[in-house]
Amino acid sequence: MLVVRAIKADDLDALYYMATQVGSGMTTLKPDMKMMGDRVAIAVASFAETIPPEKRDYMFVMEDTATGRIAGVCAIKGAVGLTEPFYNYRIGTLVHSSRELDVFTRMETLYLSNDLTGSTELCSLFLHPDYRSGNNGKLLSKSRFLFIAQFPHLFTEKLIAEMRGYQEEGGRSPFYEGLGRHFFKMDFDSVDDLTAVGKKSFIAELMPRQPLYVAYLPQDAQDVIGKVHNSTAPARRLLEQEGMYFEGYVDIFDAGPVLQARVSELRAMRESGLAQIGPTTDWDAACAPEAGSEPVLVSNTVIKDFRMILSQAVPVDGAINLPEAEQKALHCHTGDSVRTLSLNVRKNPNV
Amino acid sequence: MYVVRPVELADIAALEKLAAVTMPGVHTLPRTREKIAAMVERSIASFAAHVDIPSEESYLFVLECPDADGIVGTAAIFAAAGSNGTYFSFRNDVIQQVSRDLNISHSVHALTLCSELTGYSQLSSFYVGEKERDEAEAALLSRVRLMFAYLAPHRFADRFFVPLAGMTDADGGSRFWDALGRKFFQMDFLDAERTIGGARNRTLIVELMPHYPVYVPLLPGDAQAAMGQIHPSGELAFSLLTEEGFEADDYIDIFDGGPILQAHKHSLRTITGAMTRSVTAAANEPDRNREAPVRYAVAAAFEQNFRAVVVECAPLEGQQTAALPPEVLAALQVAEGDNVVCVRI
Repeated sequence: MLVVRAIKADDLDALYYMATQVGSGMTTLKPDMKMMGDRVAIAVASFAETIPPEKRDYMFVMEDTATGRIAGVCAIKGAVGLTEPFYNYRIGTLVHSSRELDVFTRMETLYLSNDLTGSTELCSLFLHPDYRSGNNGKLLSKSRFLFIAQFPHLFTEKLIAEMRGYQEEGGRSPFYEGLGRHFFKMDFDSVDDLTAVGKKSFIAELMPRQPLYVAYLPQDAQDVIGKVHNSTAPARRLLEQEGMYFEGYVDIFDAGPVLQARVSELRAMRESGLAQIGPTTDWDAACAPEAGSEPVLVSNTVIKDFRMILSQAVPVDGAINLPEAEQKALHCHTGDSVRTLSLNVRKNPNV
Repeated sequence: MYVVRPVELADIAALEKLAAVTMPGVHTLPRTREKIAAMVERSIASFAAHVDIPSEESYLFVLECPDADGIVGTAAIFAAAGSNGTYFSFRNDVIQQVSRDLNISHSVHALTLCSELTGYSQLSSFYVGEKERDEAEAALLSRVRLMFAYLAPHRFADRFFVPLAGMTDADGGSRFWDALGRKFFQMDFLDAERTIGGARNRTLIVELMPHYPVYVPLLPGDAQAAMGQIHPSGELAFSLLTEEGFEADDYIDIFDGGPILQAHKHSLRTITGAMTRSVTAAANEPDRNREAPVRYAVAAAFEQNFRAVVVECAPLEGQQTAALPPEVLAALQVAEGDNVVCVRI
């Protein structure tokens, strides 16, 4: 069984091993033992609630309970941009118009902004290739929404996720080549590395301060603004199902989209609910729609030892009949509360 | 003897003929008779005006050939550019990109729409016929404007600039325009120039042109290459003006990217080197005539009838007077005792 759970200090080695298997473009998970050790320490303190909410970085690992192997990782940062500036480009519009000439030109512009400062960020999603099947990706990505729904008071109103931007087969980023390179004079990979070691704001300081007219960029750079890396397209769809959307902010280096949402508007906030572990009556079960056909995310409600699984059990009228093995995986017992959320968006939420 | 003099009403027909031979995209002279006539009338009124503060005056000089050719060159100077508006240009900015933390240091060029040249005096409409291009008369024609500014400083600003036509291809297209202005104006270069009548002071410029810096490295290579490049027709003016003390590189034209030369009057050779001398008739001075003759631009020191010619004579630097032969006195319409302004060419 796969369990998504709060990271522990002794997961560090397994995490490091996995990071060595991520290609370039994923800025938040670099195989650097020192950085990673620091990050895990912060994550452990976050779940233990010994540091203030805005400094927290909740890291989750997906563990294969059969082998004890770590299959994936994901994280939620309490707030971005509070210790060093957090930069994005905002896509804006400038209209240049002359009545005299009857010319009306609508120009797209890129404004360097810190608008997303203080937002909660979903980040560092990585699923080992061996586990990229079935509902595993969804379980890992969506686990974070269930966590937020369980502990909404820990997060700011705005939630964001930076998506990896478009790159060609060979790893070339047309947007970077069309813009950033002229200001940094270094390769995309080098910039990427610097970003990973926390020097993104240094680099951003080299970016032009004034708004840029998109029309001046080479066509291939213009074309990829707000476009995700091919391998990231499924991840983007998952987030969009949960209520996140692209609102015109992109990464300053690769122009990957930033997805945003208000925490209060997430599907998990509306549709997840608490249920008590215990038997459901036959009568209740009879009323449940298509019992057993829809997988459900189920988590415990303990921040220190947050655990989540995917179950076929159906929550009915405030109760859920979880099998023994699943209760064990959640470190729960009969009578405990769990939070549940259907894995997939219901076709008709009123059913 | 070639004479440079203020334009007169009788010159309109000759100017019309000149305007017909100039290049597309290069606006030395207006194309229509009405506009030429308006320019001539404005010049005559400007010379006649009593000026306290330079504003809309525009002075047009012509180069007159002694033989049947008549008028073979023109040169103008506007007292204050952008009058009735703002003179727009692109300022060439260099932005230093420095990060000590990353050990990065380099510079990036950016073009910023600016109005700094507003109020400068503007030299323009320089045109000289093929035959006279390589002669001292070309230099005389170019310099006479500054000699006039030396004589009548109250009519002009302390700073001067000269926009030179930028590179255009055989069809009148401009690579610089295509990469920049076209995106805002949505029209061809020549159409835009026609629409705006070559002006750089229209409100629609600020309505349409970029409000934020244009980072040069983002422009296509051919547009970058065209920045600050002069149209071949401007090469003579460029060499005369840089010799004069004008500097390129700080500003370029917002339409075709051509260079805009500019200078403070104190760095211009004509103004710093001009001498006022009292005229005497040329006498036989055997001692002095042994000195190698020097070529001067000499102009009558009258604001209303500012005529100038090229004179070769003994050096005037150490003299109080300028001894000029009778034909020069006649050409300048001066008499003994009148003052002349002299500048070495």
